[in-house]
Amino acid sequence: MFELVQKNKRLIQVLIILIIIPFAFFGLEAYTRAKRGTDVATVEGEGITAREFGDALRAQQDRLRAAFGGQFDPSAYDTPEMREALVEALIAERLVAIEAVKSRLLVSDDALRRVIAAMPAFQRGGKFSKADYEALLRAQSLSEAQFEARLRYDLTVGQLRQAVSATAIAPKTVAARIDALEDEKREVSEALVPAGLYLDKVSVTPEQAKAHYEAHKAEYRAPERIRVEYVVLSAEALGKATSVSDAELKKAYAEAGSKYRVGEQRRASHILIKLAPDADEATRKAAHEKAEKILAEVKAAPEQFAELAKKYSQDTGSAAQGGDLGLFGRGMMVKSFEDAAFALKAGETSGIVETEFGLHIIRVTEIQPERARPLAEVRKELTKMVQEEKGKRRFAELAESFANQVYEQADALKPVAERLKLELKTSDWITKTPRPEYGVLNNPRLLAALFSPDALKERRNTDAIEVGSDTLVAARVLEHEAARERGFDEVRADIEQTLRREAAVKRATEAGEAILARLKKGEASDLKWGAAQMVSRREPGALEPAVLRTAMALDSAKLPSYFGEIRPGEGYAVYRLSKVIAAPQPSDDKLRQDLERLRQRIAASEYASYVASLRERADVSIHRDNLLPAQQ
Amino acid sequence: MALDLEEQEQLATLKAWWKDHGGNVVLVIVVMALAFSGWQGWRWYQIRQASEASALYETLRKAVEAGDLKGVRDSGGALAENFPNRLQAAMGALAQARFYFDRGDLKSAKAQLQWVIERSPSAEFRDLARLRLAMVLLDEKAYDAALAQLEPPPAAPFVAQYAALKGDILVEKNDAKQAAAAYRAALEKAPKDDQAFARSVRMRLEALGG
Repeated sequence: MFELVQKNKRLIQVLIILIIIPFAFFGLEAYTRAKRGTDVATVEGEGITAREFGDALRAQQDRLRAAFGGQFDPSAYDTPEMREALVEALIAERLVAIEAVKSRLLVSDDALRRVIAAMPAFQRGGKFSKADYEALLRAQSLSEAQFEARLRYDLTVGQLRQAVSATAIAPKTVAARIDALEDEKREVSEALVPAGLYLDKVSVTPEQAKAHYEAHKAEYRAPERIRVEYVVLSAEALGKATSVSDAELKKAYAEAGSKYRVGEQRRASHILIKLAPDADEATRKAAHEKAEKILAEVKAAPEQFAELAKKYSQDTGSAAQGGDLGLFGRGMMVKSFEDAAFALKAGETSGIVETEFGLHIIRVTEIQPERARPLAEVRKELTKMVQEEKGKRRFAELAESFANQVYEQADALKPVAERLKLELKTSDWITKTPRPEYGVLNNPRLLAALFSPDALKERRNTDAIEVGSDTLVAARVLEHEAARERGFDEVRADIEQTLRREAAVKRATEAGEAILARLKKGEASDLKWGAAQMVSRREPGALEPAVLRTAMALDSAKLPSYFGEIRPGEGYAVYRLSKVIAAPQPSDDKLRQDLERLRQRIAASEYASYVASLRERADVSIHRDNLLPAQQ
Repeated sequence: MALDLEEQEQLATLKAWWKDHGGNVVLVIVVMALAFSGWQGWRWYQIRQASEASALYETLRKAVEAGDLKGVRDSGGALAENFPNRLQAAMGALAQARFYFDRGDLKSAKAQLQWVIERSPSAEFRDLARLRLAMVLLDEKAYDAALAQLEPPPAAPFVAQYAALKGDILVEKNDAKQAAAAYRAALEKAPKDDQAFARSVRMRLEALGG
């Protein structure tokens, strides 16, 4: 072998070059493909990386956080099912992308440029800003090429999605039929045969109760519960605890500036002669003549304005007060009224002023010039504002140290409470399930932390958890009671009541069904019918979905028609269908709207089927080991 | 530097070898170069075709958005004529079908959908086009032709929608019994996460008294 190489050096060199050539052109993708140890899924040989998955998960959580605010608990929305759903969504997107690439759907540089230029994030003063673009990308540590490639990918997927779903059509025939079904109205009345009627007539033997207990032990278990001590650090409480000195108040008052200025206010009375803006010439003339006459009377005896207003004004509200409208500033009255009122001096009367309400004669009775509300008057609200600000500042100073202390000295909360002068509170028994009466502890994240092994077994402090804006809570378990079975005697009364009610509902059902049979034969009954209500599929009124469906599907050849339904815990409900009104011929507009609604529904179904069909033909595998959260 | 004997001998062997096989080696290299440039050229041609088709499709989409009948007809026609085998042409035909359907021109809508059924390289597009063609035929009251479109089974994910439409057509044909059976089949095959579809089909089924 070695000799052969020795002898044919040139030939070997040529051969080596020939072997190398393909690598220069085909790259190393064959090798990189093998490295998919952390990918969450593989679609047609392409990996969906853990990083892509992480990004998508984070984006989803950000959206949820924006929707739920402080109550958001990331762990509640990071279940294996949700991860599975998310990876399915990424696979769907990738399938469409692969199909787009295979079909060589291209997004031109030009189109790409247009989309980037139109993105609101990169705009300054309504125009694309190259500097903002670069700065924003740098902030996300993306190169322009990376960002543009990502965007191009999104646009390509979008193009194909759009080609499938934006081209959907819906048959008018079906839209019209659905319309007729949804708007058909039926008159339904309800009568209840209440279980309460039979509660006294049924009995439960101890053996029955015992048997029920044995069969349903799990349901009667007392849940796991804990009592905790906790410390709350909140900007609000910190603020309330601070005192505000006069000097601080004065400073804040000076800084508030125009906030406590009150513009000029005027008090006026008026006499109104109503006149609609679109009144005809004759009415207009009559109203003006009347107003002139009153004006003359007012001019003759200005001090009699209040009496004249009572006598003539057609503004019934103010007439009784002698035309008084109270104090008002600028911008509170219609323009022409305001202009007239602010042009007069105190005690003067205007001429005839026309507004959309009619003709006014205005008399200004008082002028309060522009003024600043004195400190004494605003002291209370100003103090509150200063306290809030101080509280926020104090909170910002303390939050980190609070979190650190809680973490560093994890076996007690007393020291941190003493050091920061916070109240150490104790709770009643609480369970894992959030409830409003838990107050500040009613936060899913906090509860989850309290029921973690660290907190339960090691009795460690929870982290300082943000339960609301500017509110941190740290808690520690004092007492823990595991879930336990409750003895028969402890729950006997509950069980007996449940069983009695069940038996009573059964009796009510028997009675109700007998009545229903008689009604169907056309015989009378002594049921007390509730008020009849008109329902349709679109407007179900107070009917439950199942009842509505039965009511709408009931044969209406012979009316009235009857049906019944068991109401668990309550009794047996009998329903009477007394009238059927076919849907009216829909207007063109309504039909168009309903057609579009149907079209969108069809489009969504078709796109889902499109993706499912791509998926059926493709080679897809999900690597579930990589899907679970990384263990810490 | 003088060559020693062994090297001279080697050179002679190589020369002899070259004399015998040199032509072949050159031929192989030439063929490879040709194949490579041919492959590159083909790739270049494909990309050019693809970008032309994509650009035409973009023009068509804008014309559809603007409601420009002439623009739609011109760019749509050019797409189908110049790039009949590309997906862009089928995408364009679907877009045109909706455009014409919305304007009440059912005949042109049908022609576009028919084109997709006959020419589209994508099986999914063919299934979609058949479903939509049956919808147009239903609106034209051509019930039997509509049912005929739905007869050959589509890919599994489309089965539920095919069945639901079959039910709608049979209702119009006053065949309540068969219609109910079709709706039931649709409900059975409906994807679990498409609640809106199932609700709507169930309503249509219940209205038949079943």
